[in-house]
Amino acid sequence: MPLADVSEAYTDLVTTVFSSAIAAKVWFATAAFALAFVQVTTAARIYGRLRFLPERGRAIAGVHRWSGRIAFLCTLPVFFHCVMILGFQTPDARVALHSLFGTFFYGMFVAKVLIVRDRALPAWALPTAGLTLASMLCVLWLTSSLWYFTNVRFGF
Amino acid sequence: MRRGWRPLLVGGAVVVCTFALAKAEIFAPSAPAGGTETVGDVSRGETVFQRECASCHGSGGSGGGVGPRLVGAGIDAATAAAIVQQGGGVMPAGLVSGRDEADVVAYVVSISMP
Repeated sequence: MPLADVSEAYTDLVTTVFSSAIAAKVWFATAAFALAFVQVTTAARIYGRLRFLPERGRAIAGVHRWSGRIAFLCTLPVFFHCVMILGFQTPDARVALHSLFGTFFYGMFVAKVLIVRDRALPAWALPTAGLTLASMLCVLWLTSSLWYFTNVRFGF
Repeated sequence: MRRGWRPLLVGGAVVVCTFALAKAEIFAPSAPAGGTETVGDVSRGETVFQRECASCHGSGGSGGGVGPRLVGAGIDAATAAAIVQQGGGVMPAGLVSGRDEADVVAYVVSISMP
């Protein structure tokens, strides 16, 4: 299969559910953004904040882990469409900002995962990495999905 | 080397790889071969256009939104396809692709003939 046909095969696949490949992308990104919110709130509870949330440590940790895994899976189709098909573009400030943050996103993700597993690092490293990653996802969502919903259309 | 640098170094390597992949655009759809030749379905393209493009270009490409008026604009297939694929102004790249793209391009060419 020629490489360019992969793009068409991907479009055919996602348009079995969504109206277009870009609509699929904005909804996957929205799901990842919502799950990032879950990540931040559960992480805050793990660190002793947001005391109105239940204090069951294992349940909170489980929700945190699984919301992170599902959020990561949701970003994969977005990664494929943005990086492999559209590429790095700078036609205007919004797209340039989106391309820049998108380029750094998976690097920050990998760094955060490694920080989770490295117990030798200072205590502030993990929340700093997590908040940075969530902030990057927020910028990516604002410069893509929110823009699409408000300027193109809100729908599947 | 202190172990604490490992996440930053690996993360940095991932950033470089991501940037290289983004610049390569290895799965980008190829540009249409023919100058003004269109192979899409105009009537299906109209449906896709009303769904994906009319909010900016107006119903039937008549203008009135954030995008330019397309009726009578004299846009050929290669130009329309390039703009759809690469974006332009506030228009995002890849708004439609695959068969939808071919159909929308055919429709845009049909309405843009002066």
